[in-house]
Amino acid sequence: MSEFFQATVLLGLLTAGVRLATPFLFAGLGEMLSQRSGVLNLGVEGIMLIGAFVSFFVAFESGNLYLGLLAAILAGAFMGLLTAFVSVTMKAVQGISGIGIHILGLGLSGLFFRLTMGSISTMRGFPRLAIPILKDIPVLGRVLFNQNWMVYAALLLVPISWAVIYKTTFGLKVRSVGENPHAADSLGISVTRVRYICVVIGSIMASIAGAFLTIGQHEAAFVNNIAAGRGFIAVALVYFAKWNPLGVLAGAFLFSMIDAFQLRIQIIDIGIPYEIPVMLPYIVTIVVLALSTRGRVLGPTALTKPFVRGVHT
Amino acid sequence: MQLRIWNRNVLVNWGVPIAAVFLALVVGAFFLGLAGANPLVAYRSMFYEALGTRYGLTETVVKAVPLLLVGLGICIAFRTGMINIGAEGQMIIGAITGTAFALSFPGLPAPLLILFSFLAGFVGGALYGFIPGILKAHLNVNEILTTVMLNSVALQLQFLLLRGLMMDPQERAYGTGYPQSASIVEAARLSRLIPRARIHSGVFIAIILAVIVFVLLWKTTIGYRMRAVGKNYDAAVYGGIRVKRYLVLSMVLAGGLAGLAGTIEVVGVHYRLLDGVSAGYGFSGIVAALFGQLHPLGTIPSAFFFGALLFGAERLQRSVGVPSAMVHVIQGLVVVFVVSSDYLTKRFLQKRVDVGFKRLRQEGVAAPEELPLQGRSHE
Amino acid sequence: MKKLLFSLLVLVLLAPGLAFAGGAAEVDDGVLRIGVILPSGRDDMSWSQGMYEGVSAVVANMGAGNAQMAVTENVPNPVDAGAAIRDYANQGFNIIIAHGSQYQNPLMEVAADFPEVTFAHGTAFETSSNIFAYDPQAQLGAYLFGWLAAQMTNSQVLGIVGPVRAGDAIKYNYGFIQGVEAANPSVRVLESYTGSFGDNIQAKEMAEAHINARADILTGTAQQVVGAIQAVSENDGVYWFANDTDQSPLAPNSIIASQAYSWETVVQYMVDSHMAGKLGGEIISLDLTNERIQLVFNPVLADLVPADLMAQFESKKADVASGAIQVRLPE
Repeated sequence: MSEFFQATVLLGLLTAGVRLATPFLFAGLGEMLSQRSGVLNLGVEGIMLIGAFVSFFVAFESGNLYLGLLAAILAGAFMGLLTAFVSVTMKAVQGISGIGIHILGLGLSGLFFRLTMGSISTMRGFPRLAIPILKDIPVLGRVLFNQNWMVYAALLLVPISWAVIYKTTFGLKVRSVGENPHAADSLGISVTRVRYICVVIGSIMASIAGAFLTIGQHEAAFVNNIAAGRGFIAVALVYFAKWNPLGVLAGAFLFSMIDAFQLRIQIIDIGIPYEIPVMLPYIVTIVVLALSTRGRVLGPTALTKPFVRGVHT
Repeated sequence: MQLRIWNRNVLVNWGVPIAAVFLALVVGAFFLGLAGANPLVAYRSMFYEALGTRYGLTETVVKAVPLLLVGLGICIAFRTGMINIGAEGQMIIGAITGTAFALSFPGLPAPLLILFSFLAGFVGGALYGFIPGILKAHLNVNEILTTVMLNSVALQLQFLLLRGLMMDPQERAYGTGYPQSASIVEAARLSRLIPRARIHSGVFIAIILAVIVFVLLWKTTIGYRMRAVGKNYDAAVYGGIRVKRYLVLSMVLAGGLAGLAGTIEVVGVHYRLLDGVSAGYGFSGIVAALFGQLHPLGTIPSAFFFGALLFGAERLQRSVGVPSAMVHVIQGLVVVFVVSSDYLTKRFLQKRVDVGFKRLRQEGVAAPEELPLQGRSHE
Repeated sequence: MKKLLFSLLVLVLLAPGLAFAGGAAEVDDGVLRIGVILPSGRDDMSWSQGMYEGVSAVVANMGAGNAQMAVTENVPNPVDAGAAIRDYANQGFNIIIAHGSQYQNPLMEVAADFPEVTFAHGTAFETSSNIFAYDPQAQLGAYLFGWLAAQMTNSQVLGIVGPVRAGDAIKYNYGFIQGVEAANPSVRVLESYTGSFGDNIQAKEMAEAHINARADILTGTAQQVVGAIQAVSENDGVYWFANDTDQSPLAPNSIIASQAYSWETVVQYMVDSHMAGKLGGEIISLDLTNERIQLVFNPVLADLVPADLMAQFESKKADVASGAIQVRLPE
């Protein structure tokens, strides 16, 4: 047991936790923006899969990782437009349309993987990039500042999202569209446009989260269904976060740290069935949320409600 | 006059989604072409195999049964305003408890054994639905979060039991160790309806339950209140409805029905508990329920349709040799198109009603300016 | 209500209308048709790919005029597998291989209706007059790899990245641990499971956790190992023993050896039996004696295993094959 608390193991745990949290940060922050504007995008998982495949494929064929990332951004934007068209313009029931987008993404990524690559290939992804000076901070340096740049980008997105939502005119528009679209509309804000922008940005971030699973790994590979449910967890974490970027950070870290922890607790073999540790991140997330919620926390009032001028729901 | 609007409504209500399916298939044809298949041949085989052959029809029904049961639960939950993504997990738990009962009391007479296995499956799923229900009602923990997380927990519970307590003793004896339970006794199995096909009497149970759920939702006070909670939470609170109770009840019933779907898969199809028993029905069932307009009776043809779609599309890799991922492409397209078409239906209907009232007013009959549309509201 | 009944009617009437013409006719042209059902993709670099390549090789050897194959892949659940098995039977396939333990029930059901067709499934033990079961003795090669790894490790720590603690995975892991104990009981084996079969990223993190805990030789099973192997190849001085197929192309500088199932010989055996009129009724073992299990060393890393150790390994292998060394199965 004592060896478990060795410094290297603990450092490894924290480092792994940050790495595991990265896709949740990208996808979760994007989903939060989308939900802030009143659109539930349950298709994150499918969009992640498309981002994972497209980025890997383009990077593999071109030999340029940044080109791969760009392709993931474009693919994410396309899926975002599709999602927004279905959810905003066609006013579809958002829970269901998201499941449709998920299934479609699963299918398209698998189909094009087979048609274009046909077998599992590997390549070098983004390397670790130690940040000078910062990397020498004890513990924190090793944990936070010896990762690849996508991890830094994800972490930076937390304050950026916070600033955008709470400190910019755009953020104000987004919140008003999500809270009271009719009032926003009467003030001359285009509800449709704001929602389109938020959904597209959210989808791009989901796609980047997918790219992190392939080209964001030191050794990169794409396999079918590589997201393995992470997209749904990302959506769930937005509820955990109560639509606050700092909450997304807390939720992503909580879930991932416990995941990294359970991977290590299994190793020391404490004599319980391994399924219990595997369940741990899921159960702890529920319990923490249950314990931390007092009273009725209101999300964006108009969440999942399509906007029709003159019809109040 | 009344009748004419009615007929047009029927046409729009069903014509638009069917047209949406058609459009989805047109887009799907593009991908089939990309994958090197002739789309016409592919679709012909897809529909012919699923609906035109005796075997295909029976397999379609085999798939429709769990879709319908899960869909019924979704109708209740969504109508009450609970977005239940947890049918996969509830199905797994129901399959576990149902199988556990059937394995524990093999000596009971057949009708009792089957009945109590169903009950056990229902209770298992219901308990698993109770968790997100109670958390939502009393601690305001979002049900999407809990149901998504609990799906993963259920899967691990299943493995824990299947490799331990519930593992087939023969798997141990032969050292193969595959995680599956022993077979349930003959008496616990649902009768098969046709030789050389898997269609089983569970289909009748599912249809009867659809009628019961319909009566519950539309002909009882409980159902009225559940729908009231789903339609307008605050108004329901204001109207004196004990909303928390109905939030929990809706999840208990939804979980129970999903659990029953799990048990029926065991006693009707597999005869044992094994990995993969939920087979994605927990998600497809949501889609089936929506396509059925979140109406228990509408979910019947809808589950049948999606059963056919799943069966036919799955066969494409055998009939025209396209990659297996094509199933998901086509299914995803159909869902996206159908869910989008919903709005068009509403708009068409609204226009019809407007025109009708305008004419009535011209004839000097008092008519309201706007009529709230019935039936297709999901909020 | 009326509306719904009406729509039901429309759907039912529409059904045969949509389904114009078609239907596959059975043909008897003397061509041997083999249908294969795989739980994951035929390119999964493990269980499914092994069988796919095995059948492909047999069919290629026989020539297109004599044999043909068809594949249904990514069928994790037995409901769809049941439909696939019956489809192939209905279409007049001669040999139908359902490549997964979970397919047992639907396979037995269909097999009873088609006594002239050969069915096969595995890892399994249930047979009948027209059903072959096959059972790879995963623990044998695993024992030898464990034995070898225990001699090669510098850190005295080894790691097992498992999927779900059951089936072939547990056989393999159990054998590996016995091999380590036989060679050097003081070497620690870290054993853990991701709880799924296909979550590559999780398997990768698990391998990282093992390496973090100083493991320098790792092993594991199921299609998720692609991820674990990536983690291994990211770390210098860390190596991998593979299972299912020769996985060395995935990481030529990290994989010491693979236990590869020779599905080709198994399929060939079933084809020969089928043609000779024996349609089933046998559990086909894959083991070292019949060479249906092959231990393939990666030539790139040949220098890693000293010649004298290799010689000892070969003699151990002979002992395991002959039964002089008994490798136990999990209880």
